[in-house]
Amino acid sequence: MTLWAKLRPYGMVAPAILVFSLFFIYPIFYMIYLSMFDWNFVSPTKAFVGLQNFQDLLSEEDFRKVLTNTSIYTILTVTLTTGLALLLALWLNKRNIFHGFVQGAIFSPHIISLVSISLLWSWLMDPEYGLLNWVIGLVGFGKLQWLSHPSTALVSLVMVAVWKGVGYNALVFIAGLQSIPADIYEAASLDRSKPWTTFTKLILPMLSPTIFFLVIINMIGSFQVFETIAIMTQGGPINSTNTLVYYIYENGFRFFKIGYASAAGVILLIIVGILTIVYFKLLSNRVHYR
Amino acid sequence: MMKKFTALMLATVMTATLAACGSNGAAGSQATSSPSEAGANGGSSKKIVIKYWYAFGDKIEEAKLHLVEGFNDSQDRIEVVAEHQGDYEDLHAKVQAAFAAGNAPAVTDLESSSTGVFARSGMLEELTAFAERDNAELQLEDFNPGLMGNAYVDEKLYGLPFMRSTPILYKNVTLLKEAGLDPEGPKSWDELEQYSRVLKEKGKTGMTVPADIWFYEALVAQSGGKMLSDDGKSAAFNSPEGVAPVEFWKKMVGEGLFKIPVGDEAGATADKDWANQLSAFKFASTAGVNGSLEIAKGNGFEMKTSFMPANKDYGVPTGGCQLVITAKQSDEEKEAAWEFLKWMTSKENTIYQHKNVGYLPTRLSALESEDLKAHFKEFPQYKVAVDQLEYARPRPMESAYPEVTKIIREAIEKSILDPKTNPQDAMNEAADKANKLLNK
Repeated sequence: MTLWAKLRPYGMVAPAILVFSLFFIYPIFYMIYLSMFDWNFVSPTKAFVGLQNFQDLLSEEDFRKVLTNTSIYTILTVTLTTGLALLLALWLNKRNIFHGFVQGAIFSPHIISLVSISLLWSWLMDPEYGLLNWVIGLVGFGKLQWLSHPSTALVSLVMVAVWKGVGYNALVFIAGLQSIPADIYEAASLDRSKPWTTFTKLILPMLSPTIFFLVIINMIGSFQVFETIAIMTQGGPINSTNTLVYYIYENGFRFFKIGYASAAGVILLIIVGILTIVYFKLLSNRVHYR
Repeated sequence: MMKKFTALMLATVMTATLAACGSNGAAGSQATSSPSEAGANGGSSKKIVIKYWYAFGDKIEEAKLHLVEGFNDSQDRIEVVAEHQGDYEDLHAKVQAAFAAGNAPAVTDLESSSTGVFARSGMLEELTAFAERDNAELQLEDFNPGLMGNAYVDEKLYGLPFMRSTPILYKNVTLLKEAGLDPEGPKSWDELEQYSRVLKEKGKTGMTVPADIWFYEALVAQSGGKMLSDDGKSAAFNSPEGVAPVEFWKKMVGEGLFKIPVGDEAGATADKDWANQLSAFKFASTAGVNGSLEIAKGNGFEMKTSFMPANKDYGVPTGGCQLVITAKQSDEEKEAAWEFLKWMTSKENTIYQHKNVGYLPTRLSALESEDLKAHFKEFPQYKVAVDQLEYARPRPMESAYPEVTKIIREAIEKSILDPKTNPQDAMNEAADKANKLLNK
């Protein structure tokens, strides 16, 4: 084997490795490094504070609130998006014009910029002038405060996330459903399987890799929620919609506390790292790989 | 085995991707550098190109771009490239990131209360020497003294007042007349309350006002209080004077006389309620005079402006932005930036931006000019903010103040939204939190 043949594979992966190191590995280590300093990103001196930032973070009431918000948001968004998408997929898994149209319609939010979506929903949810309150007024209910009250703001954001995500999820589910071989259905119907049994014993197991994939993707996406919050609520009212990534942004770029923000970033890294590993450990046993 | 390995790889990749997103708030922004201005440092025959970053769109943007164009046409050595950067918060975050990346604009708008944190972090060029050298032309003493409080940090000059403002009271005179109220008032909190009661009987809201920190600062000033202690090391807003505004707002909302929307759209809601004649009053920056006059005309009502009503006395914070030069520019760029600053803040140009937007005329000589005297006669709505400057005070400039304002706003919103929350308790709690930050 010539030297070139030996080196070639390395040469070929080098660009990818370089990009990966530069934009993923280096920032992680730089963030961990920064988390031990009290710094505003621009002043010439950095003060080393050890683990003080982490101590401050964990004793900070707001930070616990932020963690709770993020968890509630993630749990609600992931269950609702995946659940609704599965139902829609079961309904839409037919080939005709009407179902194709519905499928296209629910998919369309996926390709719209999240910033436009946020602005649009801000208007729809306006307590005084919004379309949503007008509609529920017609039905005879009182006005909802939507984003303007701590008790409804987070759920309103979940609604937007579900609306945006459900089409894409349904599409992936439909693809999953269509990849189930027809002969299995045939066998089930020959055995006079009831629809519910077909669903639980046949469709769900066959779909489990898809479900697993979507839950993970949605979970990670929800943990990173930022745009809707930055545009629609800025974490308010009274911190009721402040989530981890927005908190990091807020501390880093509005309050100029880069060290503190990095410490929060490290905690985000740890939480998601653990969650991902746990998910793979737990769920990989149950997932039915063909 | 292979599956397990793939799964593990996937987990690693996902974690790493996520971490990179998380660190956007910290380290990621270094990647935002763009090609530096080619030829910016070129020979003397070449034009010097400097960047100017500004905030806000619409009339404010139009005026700023007009002034920049005027500067570029007025000479052939310097070319200023103006770039829009969103609102003040977006602008500040971007300037900070660009500075860290060594790519900051030579000149930028800077919201007045943020001068402290920017100057102390070494992001701003000190202007004292420039001002002394060129004072024959600049005439620093010609700037309205009421606007210079935020220009100095630790007795050093860092900015020149540009589009400065105070909040004022906007009144729908047509509504007031219909309700049989004297359109010259209300001059005090008590009168504001009485007016609102009458308006409520007519099915209107007295005022829609967001629990904005700037308005709160004004109401504290009107009550004779202060936001922070004189040395800036501790909170003073939990004094009786600081709690009075919150109690006033809570009472007005409780009786349905005021509407205090919360959340990100609160300011927009207040403007809409006023424009649609649902509420008779709004507090807003003097920057909105021109725009509000157009709205009033379009919706067929008469509009007046006046001082914000007094409690113990009148009082307002100043606001708006000044122009600053960022540190670490070459000498040539600094000189170019300084030329630009002098142009933007000249007498003629402050008159222009005042007439076309509504921000304060920053120079005393501008106020004396025939041009503005005639303008005030025709549109007295513009003059109110100028007269109100007598009662103006600078905004706090402590580095921790942006975070403190968030804490205060939360305490106010909590007091208003939750009937069980006692304003004094909420403000005390906020003061405890603020003290920790201010003492650092």
